[in-house]
Amino acid sequence: MMMNRRNLFTNFAGDNPSAPKSTFTPHPASLGASVFTNALLRTHENKEVKFYDELIKGRQVIINLMYANCDSACPIITSKLVKVHEALKDRMGKDLFMYSITLKPEQDDPAALKKFAEMHGAANLPGWLFLTGDPYDIETIRYRLFRWDHIKFDLDPDVHASMLRIINDATNCWTMAIPQSSLYTILQHISWADPPKSLEERLEENKAIQEKINKEVKQYGYRKTT
Amino acid sequence: MSKKRKKTKKESSDVSRRDMLKMGGAAGAATILGPTMLTSWKAYASQPTTSSPPAEPVLCGATPPASPATTPFVDSLPIPFPAVPTILFPTPTKAANIAGGEAARADHQRWEEFSPDIFYYQEARAATHSFHRDLLPSYIWGFNGRYPASTVLNAYGLSTLVRFKNKLPAVTSSFGRNETTIHLHNGHTASESDGFAGDFFGPGLFKDNHYANAYAGIDAFGGIGDPREGMHTFWFHDHRAAFTANNNYLGMNGMYIVYDQKDPGHEFNTPGSLRLPNYYGLTDIPLILTDKRFCAAANGRNEMFQVVGSGAPGGDKWVVNGKIQPKLNVARRKYRFRILNTGPAKVWNLKLVGPTGTQAPWTIVAVDANFLRTPWTISGNTTALPTGDLQIHVASRYDVIVDFSQFQVGQSVYLREAAVQNVGVATPDPAPGLPIGNVLMRFDVVSNAIIPDTPAIPSTLGDLPTGILPPVVPDATFEWRFTLDNGQFHINGLPFDANRVDHVVMKGTMEEWSLRNDVLAGNWVHPVHIHFEEGRILERTTRLDPVNQPDVHTPVNLQQVQGVGLNPDEDGNNARRDVYPLPGQNTVKLRMKFRDFTGRYLIHCHNMNHEDNFMMVRWDIVDSIAELRQKREQIAQRRREAGLPVEDGLPKSRKETA
Repeated sequence: MMMNRRNLFTNFAGDNPSAPKSTFTPHPASLGASVFTNALLRTHENKEVKFYDELIKGRQVIINLMYANCDSACPIITSKLVKVHEALKDRMGKDLFMYSITLKPEQDDPAALKKFAEMHGAANLPGWLFLTGDPYDIETIRYRLFRWDHIKFDLDPDVHASMLRIINDATNCWTMAIPQSSLYTILQHISWADPPKSLEERLEENKAIQEKINKEVKQYGYRKTT
Repeated sequence: MSKKRKKTKKESSDVSRRDMLKMGGAAGAATILGPTMLTSWKAYASQPTTSSPPAEPVLCGATPPASPATTPFVDSLPIPFPAVPTILFPTPTKAANIAGGEAARADHQRWEEFSPDIFYYQEARAATHSFHRDLLPSYIWGFNGRYPASTVLNAYGLSTLVRFKNKLPAVTSSFGRNETTIHLHNGHTASESDGFAGDFFGPGLFKDNHYANAYAGIDAFGGIGDPREGMHTFWFHDHRAAFTANNNYLGMNGMYIVYDQKDPGHEFNTPGSLRLPNYYGLTDIPLILTDKRFCAAANGRNEMFQVVGSGAPGGDKWVVNGKIQPKLNVARRKYRFRILNTGPAKVWNLKLVGPTGTQAPWTIVAVDANFLRTPWTISGNTTALPTGDLQIHVASRYDVIVDFSQFQVGQSVYLREAAVQNVGVATPDPAPGLPIGNVLMRFDVVSNAIIPDTPAIPSTLGDLPTGILPPVVPDATFEWRFTLDNGQFHINGLPFDANRVDHVVMKGTMEEWSLRNDVLAGNWVHPVHIHFEEGRILERTTRLDPVNQPDVHTPVNLQQVQGVGLNPDEDGNNARRDVYPLPGQNTVKLRMKFRDFTGRYLIHCHNMNHEDNFMMVRWDIVDSIAELRQKREQIAQRRREAGLPVEDGLPKSRKETA
């Protein structure tokens, strides 16, 4: 309970997670394919992939729902995702992946998805796949990943179409972001599912947050603190 | 403000704080109860806190199981221990002690004026807890390893600092998030200690929350503020953005009670005391309600059902103070129960049922920590309460007085919840017409009064603060619209973003806010919570045809639906609140002041599953016109960028000064 600088560091040496993994290992508590399904999906490159085993297992992923000829939200969301990809390009395809799943698999074949991806300059970005598949499988994935345990919403395919599902299967952490948020906020939410950090890293982050707060206080220098 | 005036204020604050201490209840209660009880409290405090954490839970899949059978009324109602004051090392500081491992924050406001007198330590960590004799222990996250947390008992005038340490596991199999930020609901707390949802910190760090335990109105009244602002029943809980339901389901909450002359923590005839039942744990008992669902026994545990990626599940076991269907021995006298709904989502509809199966009366004396002007006795169904049930939404607190002298020794009385839980053990109806599944807990009348009964409940419990209701004109009016767009919860068209401010108010002003529920799907009641100060409801209206005539508001027929009309527990002339239940199509108009502190605060739906889906936004209190204008321009700019009507994000009307 008592703490000084020295045992602050020694106490938590055990928390230090292992070095970055070369293989993707799911968290022991991950429900795996029984939740995600191992549906066979097709990428915009017309490659067949098993949803859980090849795309999710042990990885940190960002998933959104879209369809190619959607005029309103989808282009805005996709262009935001391009910015997200740009900001995180060092991690993309290595320990972070992005999947855009069509809500209208009947009309979106791989070619249609590829055209949509090319339109946004996203067709050849590492770690980003556009996915289509059997409508039943897609509906199952939508329900399982974007559900809200409320029948009124969960049966409506438009619901949560605007949400970014963020999952880290290695730590079994699920969270989300809203594409309409600022890029800064979206990146922050993605980081909520990052692999656990060592205490030293958390303390460094904490220091950076404090500097940001100090800057704000300085900006509004008249904030009364007494 | 001149230096000279400041000094005067400081002096006057010292005087009244000392006076408070002299007369205040904490000291008195400790003298009376101290010798016997302190021994056991001490024993509790000295339990080793370094025991190795329990094994992480093995969860039982994604399909909600039926909880195992539990025999009713075998466990006694646990009373959370009073938190034990301690000394803290490193010593708390005004600026965040970054080098010592404190989470980042702005400097404590009014730190010298309210330099802490008393210190507590609450460590969030994994532990196990037994929810029933028939169940194996369950994996929980609790403060100091306890569910519910130990209760902080305190007094106005006694400035308090609670160090919240995060010792949650670095990696967990539970659905909780091992980062935390603690909100004291609904403390008049400076922003940096208010548990803002974006201010969470990870394992290994701690955060000092500074609770001045002063009444609102410090600037105007000096000293410890306006005593009419007295609030008494608080609770503290995790507020981590997107994971509040999960972390609270795991157990991260507890009670915080503040005494003053009116409500002194004892029952003696002291000046100003209302003389309500007031011995914590003896005649003044917290009832902390939640619902849980349990997996079948495995690995030596009955884990709480939870699914990673989901919010908190609906429970099929009703839990009071951490036990399923407990019993409590009572004497023939008055008791006060501080009923708290910790959610995450369930609404409770409660009544007291006597041994013959008929509803027994109870008297509501306080709502959301605030004494009603006139107590409200519920003794059966009325047009305002068709079922006779008291409806308690998430995060609301109701202090009720039950007089057990109306029963005989040997009789039992039951707390009834309208919804049925899964008991699993065939049990005859405990009272005629009362199925066992409806019973939350049992009170056994075992003796005549041992501690002499308190006098009759006063017919008025005191004056509410003035200067807020009409004809006073608010400095600004503002509307908060709760909507569901494309399956996403929004407030004024936007979801939660810790980095974005959606409304800005000037410190020291009073505003009139309309909370408007435009979520038509599901016809949910959103229990809207506003941080920082208590509000006064002016009116409640409904839109009978929200689709074709979205802006035609009709006053609610007050007599029709409980919790919808202005019942005595929400009428601004009689009550103050911090949780405003908002059914579909309803609009609640309320007034609130913004005094003494500045910074970031929240308004959100307190159904924690909704809150975690970002039905929450940030508003700021500022103390300069420049900052006010700058932030208002930011709001307008962001709304323009998002294609939203700018005027919906700005005050509807305001005085020149605001």
